[in-house]
Amino acid sequence: MNISLNWLREYVDVEIPLKELLDRLMMIGLICEKWTPGPNGDVVLDIETYANRPDTLGHLGMAREVATLLGRPLKEQVYPLVELPARTNEIVDVQVLDEDLCPRYTGLVVKGVKVGPSPEALRAKIEAMGLKSINNVVDISNVVLFATGQPIHTFDLAKVAGPRVVVRRAKKGETLRTLDGKNVNLLPDMLVIADEKRPLAVAGVIGGEPSGISESTTDVFIESAVFDPASIRRTRKALEIQTDAGYRFERGADIGFAPQAAVIAASLMISFGGRVSKEIVDIYPKPKKSKEIVLRSRRAADLLGLSVPDEFIEKTLTDLGFSLKSSTRGSWRIQVPSFRVDIEREADLIEEVVRFYGYDKIPVVVPPLQVLDPISTNNARFERLSQQMFHFGFDEVVNASFADPERERILGVIRRPIEFRNPFSVHAAILRTTLLGGLLENLRHNRNHGADGVHIFELGRVFSWANETDHVEDPAFGALSAGPIGFPHWNDRPETANFPHLKGAVESALEVLRYAPLAFEPVGHPSYEEGSALALLYKGESLGVFGRIRESILEAYGVSGPVFAAEISLGLLLGKKAGLFAYEPPPKVPAVVRDLSFLVDRGRTYQDIKSAIERAEIPHLESFDVIDRYAGPHIPADKTSLSLRFVFRNPLATLLTEDADKSEQRILKILKSTFEIQLREGGTG
Amino acid sequence: MSSPELLSFRTAVDSYRAKLKDECAAVRDLQGLEDLRHRYLSRKRGFVTTLFEDLKKFGAAEKPVAGQLLNGLKVEVQETLAALEVRLKVPVIAKAEIDPTLPGERRPWGAAHPLRIFQREIESIFLEMGFGIEEGPEIETDYYNFEALNFPPMHPARDAWDTLYINDNLLLRTHTSPVQIRVMEKRKPPIRIIIPGKVYRRETPDPTHAAMFFQVEGLVVDKGVTFAHLKGTLEYFLKRLFGEKVKVRFRPSFFPFTEPSAEVDIECLACGQKDPACRVCGGTGWKEILGSGMVDPQVFKNVNIDPEQYSGWAFGMGIDRIAMFAFGIPDIRFFYENDLRFNRQFHLK
Repeated sequence: MNISLNWLREYVDVEIPLKELLDRLMMIGLICEKWTPGPNGDVVLDIETYANRPDTLGHLGMAREVATLLGRPLKEQVYPLVELPARTNEIVDVQVLDEDLCPRYTGLVVKGVKVGPSPEALRAKIEAMGLKSINNVVDISNVVLFATGQPIHTFDLAKVAGPRVVVRRAKKGETLRTLDGKNVNLLPDMLVIADEKRPLAVAGVIGGEPSGISESTTDVFIESAVFDPASIRRTRKALEIQTDAGYRFERGADIGFAPQAAVIAASLMISFGGRVSKEIVDIYPKPKKSKEIVLRSRRAADLLGLSVPDEFIEKTLTDLGFSLKSSTRGSWRIQVPSFRVDIEREADLIEEVVRFYGYDKIPVVVPPLQVLDPISTNNARFERLSQQMFHFGFDEVVNASFADPERERILGVIRRPIEFRNPFSVHAAILRTTLLGGLLENLRHNRNHGADGVHIFELGRVFSWANETDHVEDPAFGALSAGPIGFPHWNDRPETANFPHLKGAVESALEVLRYAPLAFEPVGHPSYEEGSALALLYKGESLGVFGRIRESILEAYGVSGPVFAAEISLGLLLGKKAGLFAYEPPPKVPAVVRDLSFLVDRGRTYQDIKSAIERAEIPHLESFDVIDRYAGPHIPADKTSLSLRFVFRNPLATLLTEDADKSEQRILKILKSTFEIQLREGGTG
Repeated sequence: MSSPELLSFRTAVDSYRAKLKDECAAVRDLQGLEDLRHRYLSRKRGFVTTLFEDLKKFGAAEKPVAGQLLNGLKVEVQETLAALEVRLKVPVIAKAEIDPTLPGERRPWGAAHPLRIFQREIESIFLEMGFGIEEGPEIETDYYNFEALNFPPMHPARDAWDTLYINDNLLLRTHTSPVQIRVMEKRKPPIRIIIPGKVYRRETPDPTHAAMFFQVEGLVVDKGVTFAHLKGTLEYFLKRLFGEKVKVRFRPSFFPFTEPSAEVDIECLACGQKDPACRVCGGTGWKEILGSGMVDPQVFKNVNIDPEQYSGWAFGMGIDRIAMFAFGIPDIRFFYENDLRFNRQFHLK
């Protein structure tokens, strides 16, 4: 809101240094974002106002704040009228047909006004508000708005058929050419000001061109009304019009002030000739009672941790226009003036008091410590997972939750994406259903900026529709690995991203969360190359997929491969119970280690072999792992040689060779009978 | 049938045999070989020597069997070590002499995202003050994001929170405040929590605006909670984050869900309140850092907490903004570009 200091001076004496004024205004919550010098020593302040304070959208309201702040009186204004013999309702017939949307409607007629250019003083005010002067009558209505915060509207009475003014809802199919030259279609939930025949104005939002003030206007109907804020807002939004009047009405106009604003406008107008109708039209069927709130100084002290002297409370609220009634000690019944639409409860009054008393006077008290029940979230688990990924050399990234529908299509979206009704960009029109898109973007960005190896992971939510009405918001974990791991070094050569590296990192990250054993199963997936995708299973349920990103996708992102990626639903994973942690003493007895090499049919997965051995519950088998893999000369073309190291131990006593032999034989037997897997020639080590 | 002693003896012999193989593989030079020989064959404490002493335990029947086993091991050790010696003595091309001033080798390490680092730093200060951490959904309903927080349906206060809508009811939360409502609905006071998370606004991205960013919300509800406590807690927090000497200022503001409301500024760290043309604070000397206030009585009523009995305060701040201010980062989009040259620097913080 622009505030002219010269204009403000009409209401209150503000002769203090500008910087001090601005600093003090800030400490009551009125922030001047910038100020500009104006003509005649004026300074125009751009003051930020709040959605709940329409009273500060005029100079009078601002002056009230300043007067209270500086402890100075608000100057009284007089608005003399020269009256016609006729009463207003003898000249114009006013009817309000919808008193919910228009709780108060007042009007006056000025006859014989001479429309012309505005004099200098009027023009200066209009220009200080950042507007262009139009003519004296239009400028006066704007001046009343910026002076008092109450929007008024002026009609050329000669253009009002009847003359009759009807406040009603629009009829289907009605249109209006507005003052800004647009033709708008009116809808039945919009309130209009009409004459006998047609709408003249969209109530509280914008006037119509045909009934507007022109050079030939001599008689003016002044409207000063109050409209339902929600209805104004709905109408303004539907018509996509923002006006100074609409801005104020949707925040709530001062219902007590409507007639006075009409009088002020009329009084200003007759300085250009003409006389005012007698007896204002005032349709106010359900007069609003002023709100009454009890304020207890004790309650204020309890809330603030500070006790404000009673005298300060009384003076501040009185200066702000509140009336204090029947006070018992430290307690008042307070009547709220009609311009303070924001004051509803005791807390609101306490804020008014402390705003002027000073937030800086509230003591700084560290609250006593308190032991509360712990809250369990997944944060600690996410943190452990991240730590493990850092350990494997993966950097954390955070990507936007938005996605480009086109890009997601390239990735081969499986889930039904959630679209925005009002996206800010077509490239961010949906919520991401997968983390892969963001990770690939990050790869592209870093490759374009000179990076070669990119190994990243993200913890973030993905979104989709589960069915027509229910949506899913799932915490997900994604990882991507491409290019060299580490940097060239004289003592070592970097490894290049490969599937086992990524798989090992993710397996290990899930294992520190005590989700083991994990199982893997080849699957088909649109994002991954045929035959490269692997589902991750825990207790038989698929939680995510690993694989090598399809060449076609890499092409679309403009990056070269191979690129390995994984995405896991943490929602599903963390929904399952993690294993319990139990300490085991380090074994005191030595283990027996046997390395065995097998010839395995190509196409037989290690997962098969692993599961078969695990299922067999081999006695004394502590652990086993793959230590070598070979295919090539010396073995049949349809076979692969797998070397496994088995560790046998009897925790209670040194394991006997015979027992280790027996366990080894069992393993051989199971592998032979299940998969026809043979020991390789010389396969014991 | 062998006695248990013999079986265990056999196992021990086997295990030394296996161990020898591994250890040989690790030997790189003659000194290593000598050490190994000493460990196995030393007259005093060599593994094999010790086993010979164990032979005394066996009776006449088993002694020869055990002896044979042990001799087998001894021969194998000697032969293996001899073969190793031959291999090691083959002259190799002398390796370049090691220059110890060459750069050390660093294994690749991963770094946390800068916003997560800040988030954890903020969390840890509040955890020390006895706060718990809560979270909530990013897709919210109009009720939790607005109505329950005292934004009536057609109220202009909503204009300050540009919203991405999915449909009439669902939207992306514009602040972490709806989690306040969710927590107060399910839990009764005392409540002392912070709520970190992503929030969304319908903004076209530019250097100071992002359509997604991170916030931390705080909420304290109990009997006897005052504005003075709010000031005390936030001042302590800001001093921990920005240094003991940082100046903090509370000034009146408006949020629909707090009454009274306060905006909190800290002195501009970029210019130290000295540069009238400072680009960070615009010459005001202050930087707005968070919004706060006493929980509005209507909000308490919406969750069935009696505002006459309980009071509370809440605050909210942008993690991105704080990080930008703390490090003079000019563009919020840096956080979401994930240029690893940017991200990885904060590991040193």
